[in-house]
Amino acid sequence: MCESSARRRDGEPTPYDVGLAEIAAGRRTVLKLGGAGLVFSSAAAGGALGTDAAAAAGKKLRKTKKRAYVLVVDGCLPEEIDSGLTPNLAGLRDGGFRYSRAASKPIMETIPNHVMMMTGVRPDRSGVPANSIYDRKEKVIRDLDRPRDLKADTIIERMNRRGLRTGTVLSKEYLYGIFGTRATDRWEPRPIVPVSGHAPDIFTMEAALAMLDELDPHLMFVNLGDVDRLGHTDFTGPSGVQAARRLGLIDTDLQVGRFIAALRASGRWEHSMVIVLADHSMDFSRPDRVVSLQGPFEDDPFLAGKFVIADNGGADLVYWTGPDRQREKAVKKMRRIAREVPGVLNCKNPQSSWMRLGPEAGDLVVFCKSGWRFSDPDPVTSNPIPGNHGHPATRPIPFFISGGHPRIPRRKASSKVAHTVDVAPTVADFFGIKGKPRGGYDGRSRL
Amino acid sequence: MTTSSSALPPVDRRTVLATGTAAGLVAAAGTGAAAADDASAKPKAQRYFQHGIASGDPRPKKVIIWTRVTPTPASKPGSGKGPTVDVRWQVAKDKRFRKVVKRGTFTTSAARDHTVKLDVTGLKPATWYFYRFTFDGAHSPVGTTRTAPRARSTPRNLRLGVVSCANLQAGWFSAYRGVAARNDLHAVLHLGDYLYEYAPGQYGMGQDNVDIREHDPAREMVSLSDYRRRHAQYKTDPDLQAAHAKYPWIVTWDDHEVTNDQYDTGAENHDAGEGNYLRRRARAHRAYDEWMPVQLNGTTELGDGDRLYRRLKFGQLAEISMLDLRTYRSEQVGTPVVDPAVSDPDRTITGAKQLRWLKKSLQRRKALWKVIGNPVMITPVTFGSLPGDLLDPINDVTGLLPEDGAPYNVDQWDGYTADRKEVFTFIKDHNVENALFITGDIHSGWACELPYDAGSYPLSGSAGVEFVCSSVTSNNLKDITGTPAGTTSRLVEAAIMAANPYIKYLNFDDHGFSVLDLTAKRAQMDWYVIGDRADKGTSITYETSFRTKTGTNQISRVGRPVA
Repeated sequence: MCESSARRRDGEPTPYDVGLAEIAAGRRTVLKLGGAGLVFSSAAAGGALGTDAAAAAGKKLRKTKKRAYVLVVDGCLPEEIDSGLTPNLAGLRDGGFRYSRAASKPIMETIPNHVMMMTGVRPDRSGVPANSIYDRKEKVIRDLDRPRDLKADTIIERMNRRGLRTGTVLSKEYLYGIFGTRATDRWEPRPIVPVSGHAPDIFTMEAALAMLDELDPHLMFVNLGDVDRLGHTDFTGPSGVQAARRLGLIDTDLQVGRFIAALRASGRWEHSMVIVLADHSMDFSRPDRVVSLQGPFEDDPFLAGKFVIADNGGADLVYWTGPDRQREKAVKKMRRIAREVPGVLNCKNPQSSWMRLGPEAGDLVVFCKSGWRFSDPDPVTSNPIPGNHGHPATRPIPFFISGGHPRIPRRKASSKVAHTVDVAPTVADFFGIKGKPRGGYDGRSRL
Repeated sequence: MTTSSSALPPVDRRTVLATGTAAGLVAAAGTGAAAADDASAKPKAQRYFQHGIASGDPRPKKVIIWTRVTPTPASKPGSGKGPTVDVRWQVAKDKRFRKVVKRGTFTTSAARDHTVKLDVTGLKPATWYFYRFTFDGAHSPVGTTRTAPRARSTPRNLRLGVVSCANLQAGWFSAYRGVAARNDLHAVLHLGDYLYEYAPGQYGMGQDNVDIREHDPAREMVSLSDYRRRHAQYKTDPDLQAAHAKYPWIVTWDDHEVTNDQYDTGAENHDAGEGNYLRRRARAHRAYDEWMPVQLNGTTELGDGDRLYRRLKFGQLAEISMLDLRTYRSEQVGTPVVDPAVSDPDRTITGAKQLRWLKKSLQRRKALWKVIGNPVMITPVTFGSLPGDLLDPINDVTGLLPEDGAPYNVDQWDGYTADRKEVFTFIKDHNVENALFITGDIHSGWACELPYDAGSYPLSGSAGVEFVCSSVTSNNLKDITGTPAGTTSRLVEAAIMAANPYIKYLNFDDHGFSVLDLTAKRAQMDWYVIGDRADKGTSITYETSFRTKTGTNQISRVGRPVA
């Protein structure tokens, strides 16, 4: 699930609490920029900017006028760009280089796909397979919102080490949390909508514009959360009306338009690459189309009391907590039982070549059909929201590259498949950052 | 396909003349296999290669080439007579055959009706080639063909001619002439009803069943000899020969390649007096395998099976899944009574195995456009109020059965709604993008979005898009009502579109062909129409265009055809 009620242990500080503590401890420098009193924190001297040797290697790079902006329209469907509600996004897409079939990677959730964007590697290498996992050590279901949850190197850090400036403007609490202090400049998002746990796009964009004007990072990573958040709670979604979501699209498009206008007005456009994509799309379910595996599994004497389910909206991650020697038998039973439950699409091995989710994803992933959602462990209260993602129906995303830099193709389209995991290698390619993460990228440059 | 590599090599004057002369002489000699009787006075090449040449099923490194040789005057199609002979073949990069890249010899005989069909392998992807056959020192006309792009390539576009429903008795094949006249296609897609089974006087042009040309043999085709002769007759048509010679064809069959409204164990136009139906079908399939440039069961061998459904890939741009919706389907429900069996999940239009295969095609992520070569319409069609005196002619053309209020054509996917629901649900569950059904059968032009739920469209969303080409000659609504174009049919079209808001274009008046152009941004279908079917030299004009942008499953009219 991508909904508001963040899962963490009782008493555990929120990512915002952690951020404030870092600032209080002097590890981050606080900046107040813009008329709205926006708060940013920057790496203290000697912090994120890396070693002298690496910085020296990036001396030439630092002089570059190139700028890269990754704008994530969270939860956007590719066809929504043609809906007539998003003229700015449509103009960017049509004038630049579009990938006509682009896809989110499993699990089709916010945190893992943002992590894939910035690392260029799949979850079995980053340690981040889903929004919500069962932490076997802590014996708790929790969101992957801690900086240490992300075990792979990011393009942000690689650029930092070369003396380039990076910025994150992330509207969602758990994204703020997992990316932590990696960027040289970070927006401290305010205000936060209490229920959704995100900052509205209008504030996010104010922050992005202020960062652009006054900090001018080489790479800026922006998450615009309204379309997703309004989709989750849009009770007109299952009927196809999607009233709230459509309003969100209109507003988010306006915010993107403001950003592009600022790039043009400041002269940065000619040196810029703007990648626009979503992390996943969205699917709607009626209240009577809810899948809950907790009951059927509990009804099986062999499984009862020896499993945990981490609900991710369109995907359940199932963990066997019984004896290791019984794991194979347990997974077989889980598969057999799950397949019989109405609304279940299929069951997947999280370690298969398509999934590549790593051990954090548990022993079995169960996907729901389009028009359904999981609600576990409680079939009524665990997931009451109509808009969900995580399942195959929510794979397609918009993905296009625009900008005025000469390397950006104009008015072109490709029939190749682009993925969220391609963003980091594309940014690296744009800046000419040589070398790759150990083991190479799982994605590829889309320039 | 890239512009530079996709441009058709210019066919020189000599080639044009050779093809034209041969075709013209064949046409002048008549339409039947009997025409070969007085052919002995003709040059050898025209005697030996009366049925033209063809190519088909293009793959990145191979393509099928085809011809039929008539080694002796007695070796008439369907006769079972004539010697075993060797026919040489050549494939070259140039029209003068100075750069021959592949050559060989093919042995044929009366056992295969003296047809020649083989896979030419070891070719280069996305490349135009010239090919010809040689027998007894005489060359066949020269054909041009093109291989598919390599699997991982990203061709700029794929452009296909689209045709279906060519009834020789109902008129001249001017639509094929229009296809052959183009220089911008990569292949031709034929959606079925390549030929018709009827005897003269049974299914001709218009209300009075006028035979513009009479079928040979002069009886309904039932025996193997009949099917062979009918194929042979069609392949003497100069316009069809020219279209085959110009491009590789990708074909599937509908019902008339065997007989009307066929299903897995029988057909509407088959009775006990015509013998065992399955044996009849086997004979029809045998003749089809002999006479068409297509792989059955994945090979060009004869007699090794008749699985026609197959995939053809065009880089990462498109994959075409050609369906066979006749061989495995359950019998159509009874008419005119409304029969709830249309939704019986035990009934099928695809067969279980082909349905699994189709779902696998849809799920594959190897190509942007998932084109489905679909012999009968999949769009649900319901009715608003229509004038009662128009119901019969509409039913004659479309089988849409409005008389009793039944909102479906039981011969197309509307008669097998469980299968359609399974396909659409699969598309939704897996969010299959860019499913594009290209269809024939219904003798009219349609452009439709595919509603998940017709009743709540557009809120329910669209599973894909369907473009339907018109017939080459087979009767449409105007022909059956006998009313002028743009009168009765317009009324019906308006009523159907009003009742089915996902149908954006409907043309019951015209015959012709279509051009489908696929790019990474959109798919566009252009409809071209012919004038008078009875006029061999009738005009060909542009009618309209519709497109769907990638990822949208929505269609809109476009003001001009693809350049």
